[in-house]
Amino acid sequence: MMKFDAVKIGDTLGPQEIYLSKDQVRTYARTCGMDVPRFTDDAAARAEGLPGMIAPGNMSLGMLSRLVTDWIGSSGARLARLGTTYRQPVQPDHTITLNGFVTHVEPAEKRVDIDVWIENEDAERLVIGTASVEFP
Amino acid sequence: MAVDYDPGLIGKVFEITDPVGVSAEDIRKFCAAMGETNPLYTDEAAAKKGPYGTIVAPPSYAVTFRNGRHFFTHVPRYGRAGLDAGKDIEFHAPLRPGDKVTLSSHVKEIYEKTGRSGSMVFVVVRSTVQNQKGEVVAHIDHRFMNRP
Repeated sequence: MMKFDAVKIGDTLGPQEIYLSKDQVRTYARTCGMDVPRFTDDAAARAEGLPGMIAPGNMSLGMLSRLVTDWIGSSGARLARLGTTYRQPVQPDHTITLNGFVTHVEPAEKRVDIDVWIENEDAERLVIGTASVEFP
Repeated sequence: MAVDYDPGLIGKVFEITDPVGVSAEDIRKFCAAMGETNPLYTDEAAAKKGPYGTIVAPPSYAVTFRNGRHFFTHVPRYGRAGLDAGKDIEFHAPLRPGDKVTLSSHVKEIYEKTGRSGSMVFVVVRSTVQNQKGEVVAHIDHRFMNRP
């Protein structure tokens, strides 16, 4: 089980490579009541000026949240804060990579700050964010 | 250029939603859609021994309560409809099966920024997610980007 004292600046989360299928994006959109054409249909998304259907920002946020909670595992720590910035659309039918990097360890509060991001195959950072994890 | 808006909007709650229920089945479906395998969210027996004594929803479930309505009404718009530029979330109480959740929202901030692609106006809406006991589940700052 991961302990606070063992976490160091520079520790990495992932990389987790994911082939994101259109069906996965549609399932997320429908499950979460975001069933709008830009998240489900290529032609309709293009008509809105997008390159094709895209993943909802909330889904990217969910994947980065999962990256952090997978890292936390059963340690009893909790995700206390997550911030995301959507820089470029996340397109399905592509492989994306989830990454994280510990940037700060705060012993007084038993808090760890982490940079998280989603990359495409060209190592472009489509979504960037920061997370804070609090340990018991 | 200063952005034109009514300063009286800032901080004023413009919407409180009706309560939305969270069932064990809702959590199961969300976990399936997200590919969650963490036993705290997916395995009743393991979750019983965990910190919450029951299955809880993954933290990002908290952003799903604006079902079907991505954009807030009663929020200033500048030019084209606001795009979701990002979120900042503080997580507090976990979401448990049986919870009934409300969101109250206010405009936190409006500011202009000039980037490589020109001028943008950001409208930040803060939603506070609360459960039926009045405990705060999350504060969510939604950043909407408008192009005047």
